[in-house]
Amino acid sequence: MSGLLIHLRAAPTLLRIGFAEMVAYRAEVAVWILTATLPLVMLALWSAAADGGTLGSFSQDDFVRYFAVILVVRQVTSAWLVWELNYNVRTGALSPMLLRPLNPLWWNLAETVGALPLRIIVLSPILAVLIWWKPQIALLPSAATFFLGCVSVFLAFVLAWLVQAVFGMLAFWYEQSVGLYNLWFVAVALLGGYVIPMDLLPSSIVPLARVLPFHSALGAPVEVWLDATPDPCRTLALQAVWVAVTATAAWFMWGRGLRRYGAVGA
Amino acid sequence: MRELRLIAALARVALMNAAQYRASFLVDLVTGAVSTVGIVLPLALVYNHTERIAGWSFHESLLVTGFFLLLQGAVGLAVEPNLSAIVEGVRSGALDYLVLKPVDAQLVASMQRIAPAKIWHLLAGVGVVLWGLSALPSPSLVASLTAVVLFVVGLFATYALWVLVICTSFWFVKVDNLSYLLVAVVDAGRWPVTVYKGWVRLFLTVVIPVAMVTSYPALALLGRLGPWLAVQGVVVAIVLLVISRVAWLLALSRYTSASS
Repeated sequence: MSGLLIHLRAAPTLLRIGFAEMVAYRAEVAVWILTATLPLVMLALWSAAADGGTLGSFSQDDFVRYFAVILVVRQVTSAWLVWELNYNVRTGALSPMLLRPLNPLWWNLAETVGALPLRIIVLSPILAVLIWWKPQIALLPSAATFFLGCVSVFLAFVLAWLVQAVFGMLAFWYEQSVGLYNLWFVAVALLGGYVIPMDLLPSSIVPLARVLPFHSALGAPVEVWLDATPDPCRTLALQAVWVAVTATAAWFMWGRGLRRYGAVGA
Repeated sequence: MRELRLIAALARVALMNAAQYRASFLVDLVTGAVSTVGIVLPLALVYNHTERIAGWSFHESLLVTGFFLLLQGAVGLAVEPNLSAIVEGVRSGALDYLVLKPVDAQLVASMQRIAPAKIWHLLAGVGVVLWGLSALPSPSLVASLTAVVLFVVGLFATYALWVLVICTSFWFVKVDNLSYLLVAVVDAGRWPVTVYKGWVRLFLTVVIPVAMVTSYPALALLGRLGPWLAVQGVVVAIVLLVISRVAWLLALSRYTSASS
């Protein structure tokens, strides 16, 4: 139990280090953030398709609103653990990290959270331009929506990070695990609401897509924020279930993987 | 003539280097196929709800997406690996060995490496263009030739842009991220350029002329490209090539190696 205590005590310091690191590489981080332009590219296509009218239940303003929120949620829930773990396992850089009293995953989680303020700073001019272009998209959510939205984004953040942990740990068995993660991300793009809002998917696959983890990791919080989900509490519960499932998988794989890593003698 | 022999020799060495990694060639086949699906399927899903977008039908848009895949393939195959090698050379000083050779440094630097796995993107691009054409009246010979020429010219323009980005590495050293940003902007070329409005469209036609590489050849195949636009495409490419050449020479004259 003292292990947990050490991790909690170290958290504030780790967060400070993480933030300082991001500030040190601010230009690089900003460029990384700006590369996630896909929501804007998709917005251009959808809004040209709607062409002043509506598409399904979406007007042009709805599209702007949807992809603006997607852009933000995608940024605040993104991580780089899968690349880092893959690299560290392949090159053996993980070994010295394991000698520390802190779990390297915990370290990465703190860095990821530490990057959040910078992400928001870089995003704000883009959002400002979108709101300047379409002032009517700015809506003030109700207190309940705000609260549920924050919880949903938090769950999506944890889920996305855990999924990266799982795919990163696959590197213990299979070195090209980053390629597999790309498959996951294509699924998130298509079935999770990244390039197409859930309601505009072919209606036969919508019920299935709604319970899959891809939606919980990205589309769900967007819908909660926009008050566009029939039952927000059910959405949150489903997200929590997926978090629990991936957390179990990650915990299991970490134990098994480390044993294998040691066995190779790297 | 000497340059042509040099190009052939460089291409052979690059191919031999790349052929060493056979397993990753196959893994990239899967990744390439999935990313193609990730690019084409959203288009199909949007067209599920409407017949035409910004004046383009689904099969017409497929032509643009096909050329976009070809562009991605060509850049990934031959442009991007070389230019990241140059950035690395500037940082580590390995560029010394290159500038000492009695040949044009830009030519050699641009042809050192090749990533053959990107051939899958090229094949996918050809497939998507053919898919689009299958539901459209077949283009005339002149139209097809114009499309090919415009696409190749556009590739040179893209190469010039990459060289410009790389040139900044002689001043700022660490610019590999900047090339990712360029990739992100080029991403906008996957849809017909009329999807974009106002200054965004202008930006994508003139500054980062990705529309020229993807939309113009598609328009040419459809017989809708005026001669004026074709000329404009060629002019933009030439201007970019000249600027990039000047920038390269200027940047090289500033190269101080890593140790001194």
